[in-house]
Amino acid sequence: MSEFRVTLSPALGGRAAVSRKGISVEAQPEGTLLHLLVDPTMGDAVRLAADLMAAGLELRPLTTGQWFAVGDTALAHADLAALSATLKPQADIVDQSHGRVRIIVKGKMAARVLSKGTAVDLDIAVFPVGHATTTLFGHISAHVTRIGEDAFELIVLRGFAESLWDELAQMSLEFS
Amino acid sequence: MASLVTCPHCGKRPKEEFTVKGAALTRPAVDAAQDVWFDYVYLRDNPRGAYQEYWHHTSGCRRWLVVTRDTATHEIFQCHDAAERGEVTA
Repeated sequence: MSEFRVTLSPALGGRAAVSRKGISVEAQPEGTLLHLLVDPTMGDAVRLAADLMAAGLELRPLTTGQWFAVGDTALAHADLAALSATLKPQADIVDQSHGRVRIIVKGKMAARVLSKGTAVDLDIAVFPVGHATTTLFGHISAHVTRIGEDAFELIVLRGFAESLWDELAQMSLEFS
Repeated sequence: MASLVTCPHCGKRPKEEFTVKGAALTRPAVDAAQDVWFDYVYLRDNPRGAYQEYWHHTSGCRRWLVVTRDTATHEIFQCHDAAERGEVTA
């Protein structure tokens, strides 16, 4: 972990939230986004989740043995180092706060709009609240979590954020 | 090529999310003869029918998978995580 934080201008700073009938797209504050690599032999994930909750972060399942931990506020370097020390040796943290951006898509038509971009079945019966997966939206790889019945959180690489935003704005045009 | 691959972690996904590495072959011993290594690195059978390959779910779970598919009918018989290897027979 670096001693110094790079200060970046927000990737979607200039974008006002897209608000249409039954769908809205809004950028989340670029707070904290940690990539967790967990050794499953080192204890259960419950303790891990408790430690992260204490730091004000929420877990998003990523893949086998890996999670994202997200939060709206940026953790101070000392807090991050302390968290990293707490989680070892069960998990390693890679700070991705500078590298990934969160976008919230919500509203009754959110699943309809997202379905235009991905092959993943977003029906609530098979993609319940809390479920997450990584998939392609058009040509852009993004991580999608259902955070509410009609709300999704997309995590996308910073460099692709604007492009994905433009696509979401276009895909939701029919509901304007 | 098959257009839908059932990833053991993510479920059915379009092939665009994957990267194909190539035939899933058993790696020769380190001290195997040069012709055995040449065969392993360069020579492929290109069969008509069942074929076992390494696929990477690049835009999904990012796990390496072993996909057993039919090169003629595009049918996929099996798809499992490469970490559960041992079943590779090619």
